[in-house]
Amino acid sequence: MQLGFLVDLHLCMGCKGCEIACKVENEVPLSTWRLRVKYVDVGSFPETRRTFTPLRCNHCENAPCERICPVSALHYLENGIVNIDKERCIGCAGCVMACPYGAIYIDPQTQTADKCTYCAHRVASSMMPACVVACPVQANIFGDLEDPASNISKYIQQNQGNIQVRKPEKGTNPHHYYVGGGNVTLNPLASHRDEGHQLFNKITTLPVGGHH
Amino acid sequence: MVHETLAATNAVVTLDVALPGIVWPWLVTVNMWAKSIGTGVIFMLFLLLKKYPDQAGKLRFQTIVVSIIFIHIFLLFTLADLHQPFRMWHIFFYPHLTSAITVGAWMATAFVGLLFLLAFLSSIKKDNAAFDKTLTWVTILAIPVTLYTAGLMSQCTARELWQMPTESAQMILAALLSGSATMILLGGSKLDYEAKKTLGAVLGLSAMMSFILYMSEYIFGPMKAEEVAAVLEYIKGDGPYTVMFWLGQWGAYILPMLLVILSRVSKSENILKLAALLALAGLWLVKHVWLIIPQLLPMS
Repeated sequence: MQLGFLVDLHLCMGCKGCEIACKVENEVPLSTWRLRVKYVDVGSFPETRRTFTPLRCNHCENAPCERICPVSALHYLENGIVNIDKERCIGCAGCVMACPYGAIYIDPQTQTADKCTYCAHRVASSMMPACVVACPVQANIFGDLEDPASNISKYIQQNQGNIQVRKPEKGTNPHHYYVGGGNVTLNPLASHRDEGHQLFNKITTLPVGGHH
Repeated sequence: MVHETLAATNAVVTLDVALPGIVWPWLVTVNMWAKSIGTGVIFMLFLLLKKYPDQAGKLRFQTIVVSIIFIHIFLLFTLADLHQPFRMWHIFFYPHLTSAITVGAWMATAFVGLLFLLAFLSSIKKDNAAFDKTLTWVTILAIPVTLYTAGLMSQCTARELWQMPTESAQMILAALLSGSATMILLGGSKLDYEAKKTLGAVLGLSAMMSFILYMSEYIFGPMKAEEVAAVLEYIKGDGPYTVMFWLGQWGAYILPMLLVILSRVSKSENILKLAALLALAGLWLVKHVWLIIPQLLPMS
């Protein structure tokens, strides 16, 4: 079994339901995110549009975080999920430095690394990840990539030629795919960015792990 | 950065998480800087014992003490940078050997043990033959101890700026630079001018080679990778780290190179000492800038 994710960006409307569901399900502390939806505005008025890109851990086949972790706190599960053992983590932040997707953070409450686990605890109980359940338009598709009859495999077959991953040049072989993505949505250097986020507040940078 | 430059596309991130702060801060700079000195003086002691055994013999114990002090500074700051420092023991009981951190921690531990053995041989047992024999193995071990951080940096897939084998070369050159600088200062009256001239040559040459590597990356790096180009913008023009970068380059490399030449021309030990001090201070700045700038880049 090789679990994977696919997000159809044509369907995503940026409601952030997945983001909230993830926060609630996993009790993700304030100022940290396992999953977030990035907005990029494209074009000049009046020819403008807004793109929405849910971003989470890519559960790479060749995960740099797993390789750099000195104590195997980050490890593979048999179903392909890159899981984390917070009790073992020493907080060296090597994984934060290694992840090319910025998907790992230092939990300010436990002072250990944390990230999306594809809701491994729910999956173990044969439930879908919280973000999949919350999505009102079924833009998040989750399933077994090795099973040709799974929804995700069918979706990939139907959209051949239009499947993307983030930063393929890094050689991480992500198990997280996008349909309808492009340079603007998937390449952080393809858009202009002022520090931090701008739409709702003026926070520029976040303290790592709540200190430093 | 194609889209950003196209007026028709004008892509602007309007909502994302705030950028994370610096993950590996100045504590890691001190870690690398102190490790360079701690291992570098061992390289230099080995060299001096081969070339000037009579003079260098008087420096056995002092050099080991300096190495022990700086290796402990390195270990202390490594520990201080952990978010869970009391779990450091996990590295030894749950080791993950694909990680340069694990391999480095094991090697550094062995290195510290051997340094104490050398201290024992030189100060209590006073057995120079055993000391010199052990020093050979310690010098060999000092190579991977100083290099493992380069391995760690290259394992940081997210930071395109840190490439192998450049980082390896920079680490070993930093050890030679800081080791020779420290020994010039430590030598005092125990080393004659000829020995110091040799150390000066090591200092000047390692400064030159490091400078060439940095300038090569500075000029040619952006031609190879979009991320490197974006990162180097932080040290170009009016970038936030431009001044610190150039202060480091002048302090660690350019001025020491010139001062080493000047000291040879004028046969001045004081000029050599000034070069050594500048190299040690400048190296910290150089290491710090190179550590920080890739962390300023948004990953999403």
